Amino acid sequence: MKLHEVKVLGRERFGDHALLRYRWSGVAHEPGQFVMVRALSSPTLDPFLSRPLFVHDYDGEVVSLLFEVRGRGTARLAREDAGLLVSTPLGRGFVFDGKEPVALVGGGVWVSPLKFLSRALNTSGIAHDIYLEVPATASTAYADWLSKSYPHAVLIPTDGSLNSPKTVLSHLGDFSRYAAICASGPSEMLARVKEVSTVPAQLALRERMACANGSCYGCAVPLWREGARIYTRACIEGPVFGAEEVVDVQKSGD
Amino acid sequence: MSFGWAYYGLFTMASEHLEFVESSALAVELCGIPLATPLIPAAGTLAREALEDVRGVYGAMLPKTVTPAPRSGNPPPRVAEAASGMVNSIGLQNPGLERFLEDLEHYDIGAPLFVSVAADTVGEFAAMCERLVGEERVAAVELNLSCPNVEHGGLQFCAGPSAVREVVSVCRGALAGKPMFVKLTSERVVANAVAAEEAGAHALTLINTVPALVVDARARGVFLRGGLSGPAIKPVALRAVYEVSKVVEVPLIGVGGVAGGTDVAEFMLAGATAVQVGSGSFVREPQVVLEEFAAYLREQGVFARDLTGALAGY
Ligand SMILES: Cc1cc2nc3c(=O)[nH]c(=O)nc-3n(C[C@H](O)[C@H](O)[C@H](O)COP(=O)(O)OP(=O)(O)OC[C@H]3O[C@@H](n4cnc5c(N)ncnc54)[C@H](O)[C@@H]3O)c2cc1C
Ligand SMILES: Cc1cc2nc3c(=O)[nH]c(=O)nc-3n(C[C@H](O)[C@H](O)[C@H](O)COP(=O)(O)O)c2cc1C
Ligand code: FES
Repeated sequence: MKLHEVKVLGRERFGDHALLRYRWSGVAHEPGQFVMVRALSSPTLDPFLSRPLFVHDYDGEVVSLLFEVRGRGTARLAREDAGLLVSTPLGRGFVFDGKEPVALVGGGVWVSPLKFLSRALNTSGIAHDIYLEVPATASTAYADWLSKSYPHAVLIPTDGSLNSPKTVLSHLGDFSRYAAICASGPSEMLARVKEVSTVPAQLALRERMACANGSCYGCAVPLWREGARIYTRACIEGPVFGAEEVVDVQKSGD
Repeated sequence: MSFGWAYYGLFTMASEHLEFVESSALAVELCGIPLATPLIPAAGTLAREALEDVRGVYGAMLPKTVTPAPRSGNPPPRVAEAASGMVNSIGLQNPGLERFLEDLEHYDIGAPLFVSVAADTVGEFAAMCERLVGEERVAAVELNLSCPNVEHGGLQFCAGPSAVREVVSVCRGALAGKPMFVKLTSERVVANAVAAEEAGAHALTLINTVPALVVDARARGVFLRGGLSGPAIKPVALRAVYEVSKVVEVPLIGVGGVAGGTDVAEFMLAGATAVQVGSGSFVREPQVVLEEFAAYLREQGVFARDLTGALAGY
């Protein structure tokens, strides 16, 4: 896969989370798409695989990525000195047919693509509400940043479990107020959206990736197609899928 | 080798011939099949959706292993990071031989097409070969023997020389002279290679992934049981090519951890005639690997075909 060296315009850290911005003059990104990223300074190819990250925001010139520092790959990306190699935007993102209002539902670091989605909906004049879960495990720094970065969102503190006294979905209550739901959150949240949504829902799924161009068949997502259960590739057919076609949301994407 | 260099130098002086020199310097021949470059995609690592940038880079096309019937593959997770490599357990997801053949034109990259096959029984292997023998667009067949043989309690076809001999000789008969490569793992590779050659293999592909396990310590569970690939296995693969090259006559196709031009040279020096690029293509462009290899040839003043087995020793 071809990766492009880009100029990093800024790095911010809030707790375990990092935000990275770079200038991009190539093909335009779409909300829900992702990029493959690696630190420039890894000539030894260790870590080996590039890391998939959702496009957090894109204004036509600058792309930003929001990620949680988890292991070696993301630690490298968050470091001050590391240059950046990125792919073109990959996969299929959210689609909307103009019906409104739309509910954007997210949680954890997975709220990432909803920022860009909200921007695109604003541009198209599509009314939408944003509901974001803030789990108890999130650092204060991240929670503060979320409230600044999504000023119009309803932030719902939870204890991080599905049995939390309050969840994004219990807050949302009756889905039928909305024409559509776009969800990007932990696998349990996505599974619940799929289960309870009475209106068309789109889920931003993740699965372990290696090639991100359809070659390795690593990023398997179970889908219903023509009545049969098949594995499709999240990197080229997703990562956003219609909830009704997803067989079940795998935990391996978390 | 010195002849190659003289030739090379002669032509590089005239810049309008550069392209010609580059291409002849890169060309190799595998079982009588001319390859414009010694690079071939490793089976299972280049899908038809990703062929845009590989024209002119690969000397042949080799799609993912096909089986007689469609396979849906293993449940996720299927891939994981490992030190300098990755572990996969895809489960041979493929559309089955007939559907694959219907779509064969999608694999046209302007280079010979090889087809990798696997099956559960010797009989099924033979039936696949019989189906492929008359298919003119298929220049060679690679037998993927790292799959369970259901007639032998699920042991891999390449578990030992007698199993290798049986399946290879039956396929050799079915293929009626069409070039047949036999792909082996690193386990018992020398004995298996000898058996494959005796049974009629035209070339040997070494090696498939190395058995591996990824444990999730936090969840205290097995995360993935699969095969290791990438730079981590390159020394294992080089050793296999090197040892086998000393005991067989047939050409070898080296595979395991190639991610740069020098890796290609190393495999050829160790005894390979052609080299497959697998996981390395996920993180570096095959085009860049080829350019680096061409630069190596220029720097060393040799042609690719002169490298095979040309180790000076220490
Ligand atoms: C389409 C997609 C979009 C994503 N978007 C974001 C995002 O916007 N922000 C964010 O923080 N994370 C995102 N992720 C997850 C992110 O890729 C992983 O957190 C990251 O790869 C971890 O790498 P690491 O080296 O830090 O961790 P490691 O130590 O390598 O692993 C930690 C965990 O990260 C996950 N992981 C590691 N490698 C991969 C891989 N190649 N593919 C998928 N998961 C992997 C696994 O869950 C693993 O257990 C996304 C994943 C996918 C598939
Ligand atoms: C994702 C993936 C899928 C693979 N699928 C196949 C396959 O279908 N048939 C096969 O013979 N080998 C398969 N392999 C093994 C490769 O062809 C190759 O032998 C191995 O990965 C070592 O080479 P590498 O280190 O360059 O990847 C696969 C490897 C990977 C990483
Ligand atoms: S990551 Fe390789 S097929 Fe999707």
